[in-house]
Parts: sequence; C-alpha cells; structure tokens
Amino acid sequence: MREQLLDFQQGRLVPDLVTSVRRHLDGCGDCAHADQVERELTQVLERRTPQYSAPVALKRKLAANWPTPAPVVPRRRVRSWLRLFLPPVVLATAALLFLVPDMRGLVAPKGPAASVMIGEAVNDHVRLLQSERPLEVESSGIHQVIPWFSGKLDFAPGIRFAGDAEFPLRGGAVGYFVDRKAAALVYGRRLHSISLFVFKAEGLPWPSAPLEPAGRAHVYRTAARGFNVLLWRDGELGYALVSDVSAGDLMLLASKLAPPA
Amino acid sequence: MSRGGEAGQAWELGREALAYADTLYNLARYLAGNDSDAEDLVQETYSRALGSSGQFTPGTNLKAWLFRILRNTFISQYRRQRGNPVVGGLDTVAPIPPAAADISWVRDDVELDRLRKVMAEDIERALMTLSEDARTVILLDLEGLSEVETAEVMGCAVGTVKSRLSRARAALRLLLKDWKR
Repeated sequence: MREQLLDFQQGRLVPDLVTSVRRHLDGCGDCAHADQVERELTQVLERRTPQYSAPVALKRKLAANWPTPAPVVPRRRVRSWLRLFLPPVVLATAALLFLVPDMRGLVAPKGPAASVMIGEAVNDHVRLLQSERPLEVESSGIHQVIPWFSGKLDFAPGIRFAGDAEFPLRGGAVGYFVDRKAAALVYGRRLHSISLFVFKAEGLPWPSAPLEPAGRAHVYRTAARGFNVLLWRDGELGYALVSDVSAGDLMLLASKLAPPA
Repeated sequence: MSRGGEAGQAWELGREALAYADTLYNLARYLAGNDSDAEDLVQETYSRALGSSGQFTPGTNLKAWLFRILRNTFISQYRRQRGNPVVGGLDTVAPIPPAAADISWVRDDVELDRLRKVMAEDIERALMTLSEDARTVILLDLEGLSEVETAEVMGCAVGTVKSRLSRARAALRLLLKDWKR
C-alpha cells in the first residue's frame, strides 16, 4: 500500500485502485499518517526547495551561440529558358562534386554547425588530459583494448591499428561525443597524447569541405584552441582525432587508422 | 514567416530550447554543486543539443530531451574527472543511507511538525547529501516530468524510476527529520 501512496496522491492510479487505497486509508491509521507525511513532504519540496535561475550573461551567451536563421530570400520568377537548362547543369555539377571530393570545398564552406563537432572533439580531448585517470583500460595491446569495449557500446569501434613505435597505443575509455556514446582510444606521439573518438556518425553536422585523403579516408582537417583536429566518416561510424602534435603527424596516424583498401 | 530548411528548424528548436535555460540551470546547479560548473554544464548541454538538433523528434518532450543531454553530459564529465566511470554507477557518489531502505514511519506528529518547520537551506543540504540518482529523480519529479519522461532522461525502466523516487523521498525524509534546528 505504501508504495502506491505517491501514485495515489499524484493521480496516477486507475479508478478501481483509487477506491481501494481510499478505503484502506480510512481504516489504517499508520498508512493514513504515512499519506499525510508524504503530502507534507511534497508541499514542503514544492514551496521551499531553492530554485536557481540561469545568470543573464549565460542566457545571452547561449542565445548568441545558437545559429540565427538564414535570411529568407524572396523567390524571383525564373525565366522559362533557365527552367529548361538549369536541371541538367545542376545534375552535372553534382556529379562533378561527387567524383572530385576536393571540389566540395569550393561550394560548401564550413558552417557554424561544424564548429560544434570541432569544439566537442577538443573539449573531450582536454577532459581526457585533465582527468586523473583518463584511461579505463590501460594497455598497449589492441586485442585487450578493443574487446574491453564489448557490452559498453552498441557498436564495434572498427579500429585495427594496434599502435607502433611512432604511435604507441596507451589505452581506452568510454565517453560521450555530443549526445552519443563514444569509444575513446589514446595513442602516444613522443610525450604527446592523441585522442581518437569513435562514435555513430548519423545525425551529426559533419563539415563537408575541404576534405583531404588520408589512407582510404577523406578527412576534414582544422585547428581549434591550439589543437589539431581531424574528422572523418567511414560507413556508419565517425572518427575524431585530436592532439597538439602537428597536423602532419595526425594525418599520418589517420592513414594508419584507415589504411588504403 | 516560415523558415524552411535545417537551419530554420534548428533555429526554431533553439528558440524553444532557450526557454528552458532556467530549468536546466537549476538541475545543473544541483548536479554540479556550484555556479561555475553549472554554467559550463548548461553551455555544453546546449552545444550538444545544437549538434544533434536533427535527432529531436518534433512533438516529443523537448524539456525531457534537454534534461537527458544535460545528465549524460554531467555523467560523462563526472566519470572522466573521477577516473572510474564504469564500475559502481552513480549511486556510489553518495549512497542513500542504509536505514533509508527500511523506513519506520513515525506514528506521532513529531515528523510532521519537523517537516513543517524545514527551511530552504535544509532541503538543499539534504538534496546535496543524496546520491546523484536520488537527487535527480526528486528534482525531475518536482519539475513535473512524468515517470515515463523521467525514465527516458535517466535511461532506466519506469519501474526503476518509481522505486528510486520512493527510496529517494524516504532518504530525504530521514535526513530532514534528523536535522534538528
């Protein structure tokens, strides 16, 4: 009966149960008292729990960081000859862009949404570095690290590069990338750490240009807050590589992580 | 004027999401325990929400969706800071006192009197003593989320929410009862 008191008070019980609880409370002093105490607790919590409001400066910052809508351009009448020739031209351009990935950069510049992924990659890398125990599994053996993720992620990270003398594997951990779980693997480069985050790629604002080949991957290369960042997709998975080592070193590691087929 | 396309949708979502800044900040403040970390947590939450705005299903509960992102963000940051994220779960942070599992109801009016005299700072102190799970489930309940929505936020079954809420309230009552003013 006691377990049902909260549901009873919040109107979550079916009518038959409500009648039965009421009847019980009429005849049971202990439960009636418990009901009274629960009601009092709810009232006290609702009336007196301190509520914190977001500072105005934070609200302004949040509003400023959310992208503003693109201006709505009024439609103009398209001349009839344009209607005739435009579709083939668009198709040809799309085909050209598909065949020559590097050209995508000419027409699809990095949007503000891409900065979310870049910022997330850098933040995650910094958090890893700042943690007292960043690695949940410390091992240089890929056959120890990758199986460790079993049951902790709903995808297989798909990493086969076991590390080498240039980029020794240090271990791994489970974290989040934006809104989803991610496998975090840490490789070394001399005294530097390189974080590799693997996550499901769908639904993220992937930057579309400019892309550079690294092994079989086409990577987006950028820098933020002093860190070099590479992002790429391979099938259903996405990869983010972050470190303060040179971009060239990161490209080299990316080509090892995604060796040519 | 309608604003078509992905950017337009994200903007609409953002406009709506920003209305929950106070609500999110309140939970963040209770999770993080201080203003500075709470601000970071809320900023990170909005950043993640923006990054995955395409995954939000219009017509579903935006507040619950944002709460889920906030809590996941907190957990991932918390785990990274504490080092041992996987084992034990968040109940290890500050477990509910063992006595709370077996609450003996006070049959006189002492507890009622005590509850009526509880002050805001007592409640806050008691909430901060609870485990993260217990604190969250109480705050989400106060926010008016249904058990189903709370279950979505916390990534657990509805039955688990019910039992967690019941245990959390019991633990809170014990704490409030024991603190004599």
